[in-house]
Amino acid sequence: MSLGLVNIDKDLCTGCRQCEEVCPVNAIKGEVGNPQSIDYDICVSCGQCIQVCNAYAVENKENKDMITNKRLERGLLKSVKEPIFAAFNKGNAVKVKEALNNKELFTIVQCAPAVRVSLGEEFGLEVGSLTPGKMSAALRILGFNRIYDTNFGADLTILEEGSELIKRVTEGGKLPMFTSCCPAWVKFVEQEYPELLSHLSSCKSPQQMAGTIFKTYGAKIDEVNPVKIYNVAIMPCTCKQFECDREEMQDSGFKDVDIVITTREFAQLIRDKEIDFENLEDEEFDLPLGSYTGAGNIFGVTGGVMEAALRSGYEMITKQSIPTLELNFIRGGEGIRVAEVELPDMILKVAVISGLKNVVEVLENIKRGDCDFDFVEVMTCPEGCVSGGGQPKFILAEDRKSAFMSRKKGIYKHDSELKIRKSHENPFIKKLYKEFLIEPLGEKSHHLLHTKFVSRKKEEM
Amino acid sequence: MELKSNSFVVGDSSKCVGCKACEIACFKAHNKLVTVGNITTPIISRIHVIKGNNFTVPVQCRHCEDAPCAKACSINAIKNEDNSIIIDEKLCIGCKACVVVCPFGAIEIGTKCKDGKKVMQKVQKEFAEEGLEQKEEKVAYKCDLCKEQDEPACIKACPKNALRLFDVIEEKRMRNIKAVNNLKL
Repeated sequence: MSLGLVNIDKDLCTGCRQCEEVCPVNAIKGEVGNPQSIDYDICVSCGQCIQVCNAYAVENKENKDMITNKRLERGLLKSVKEPIFAAFNKGNAVKVKEALNNKELFTIVQCAPAVRVSLGEEFGLEVGSLTPGKMSAALRILGFNRIYDTNFGADLTILEEGSELIKRVTEGGKLPMFTSCCPAWVKFVEQEYPELLSHLSSCKSPQQMAGTIFKTYGAKIDEVNPVKIYNVAIMPCTCKQFECDREEMQDSGFKDVDIVITTREFAQLIRDKEIDFENLEDEEFDLPLGSYTGAGNIFGVTGGVMEAALRSGYEMITKQSIPTLELNFIRGGEGIRVAEVELPDMILKVAVISGLKNVVEVLENIKRGDCDFDFVEVMTCPEGCVSGGGQPKFILAEDRKSAFMSRKKGIYKHDSELKIRKSHENPFIKKLYKEFLIEPLGEKSHHLLHTKFVSRKKEEM
Repeated sequence: MELKSNSFVVGDSSKCVGCKACEIACFKAHNKLVTVGNITTPIISRIHVIKGNNFTVPVQCRHCEDAPCAKACSINAIKNEDNSIIIDEKLCIGCKACVVVCPFGAIEIGTKCKDGKKVMQKVQKEFAEEGLEQKEEKVAYKCDLCKEQDEPACIKACPKNALRLFDVIEEKRMRNIKAVNNLKL
């Protein structure tokens, strides 16, 4: 049986269709009471179905072999004891473990911002516990050669995307410009609204920018042959593997990011190595590419990319510091938030959309020529990456909402405690431009950090 | 004399979609875990979603007034406490007499677990492929109406509101009132 990124196991599915209620694109097909199937032409691999599925496998003597096979097929480590459910993502923890044991490889890891506020939950810590130090310590014990960070990529994204926005606004480019860091959102536009692809920022996501830089600039400073670099990304997301597998994502000359595992799989690797996560001493990320600002870190919540972009964009345009760092008017939960940001010579109209279903209205408005937004952030999952499909799964659905709140609090707490909170002030980002990229939107950036999107629309029969 | 009767959780098959949220919630109610990654033992549920030809509905203990399980228990591990039938899992020896007599199949023999680990027997061992192996301790599990919480977890977790706590006396009173209202006298 060949697996997709997100799957529903017909042997376990009860046909309750609770997953369809959270599926943002209605990709789950089937009759009530019968096993469901996923329409992969529609599915955006967001994994929300995985988060709500209750159809667990009852394991007993009779079905032991069948269940063992299923666990293998799903790519679970042998040490994993947690129950399996009908909806699941194909895991890569086994492959990452193999890579860590392969001494020929130079393994570099990056973690998304939302991972450091949810990982602790898998070890009984309070929901939303902020654990970047323990996370880094665990990665070191697992044996990664470099512990870099997606937040560095996020800071870099802000410089490129901020510059792109300013260029579009001042030189009359396609507006509104949409963020392009959520791979499920990008896939959705490619499938359903290819005529609007030029509205997407051409920036790669932080994961892919980071991966590309690790295998180019990183290889140089670490004096490693990039052929040997194995880039692992740990993501709260089940769609990031799709993104790293896109064939255009090899601007470094190699596959920019080799493999993606979810927060849950990361926890499984930590358990597999019998690491006492709770009692780990905090450790730092490796420099320079593991350095990050508060702005990079808030990418993990809805509104975060917008807030980070405004913190830097304001300064890029006005050459003055933004009056307040914490832009509460764009923080929030599922839905659409609209704001006007006053700049000396203009008013920037922005929108933040969380939950993919909520974007359709805006896209339809654009098609009708009835949309005056300049910049729009879109995240597929209900409240941004903190609520991603690869995050720890709650036993009770009722715990989800308050958990998202706690994780968001953790993300903002981290931001407020970091010394540097604007992406363009990250000293190692400055250094990267000085030594390697030269300038945002420059030739090198264009080649390494920007990408193209493709129409995936199926022709109507 | 005060009228008293044991309450029980009852499922409505016209609403139930068979999602097993009740089973998961039942497991969670008896384990202080929050995320799936923390689960290291088999899921033991005291409520059982049954799938028929064209219906699904959960079945669980009816907390019988004249409980056959309590009568059959030779070590008095099953008692009527505070209007419900409760198995003392510490006393239970896994003799299965209660399973034999329960007309609803509401009792299940499952592995005893403590602190996320299966509890093993101290003395008895069992033959396995590679010689003698430790044997799991097993006890009888059934619905305890989540006595330590304000509401049975299954009822709270059901996304379709297919479960409710059936209070015999209150239910009778409500139905009486409804009947009178419908009489149009």
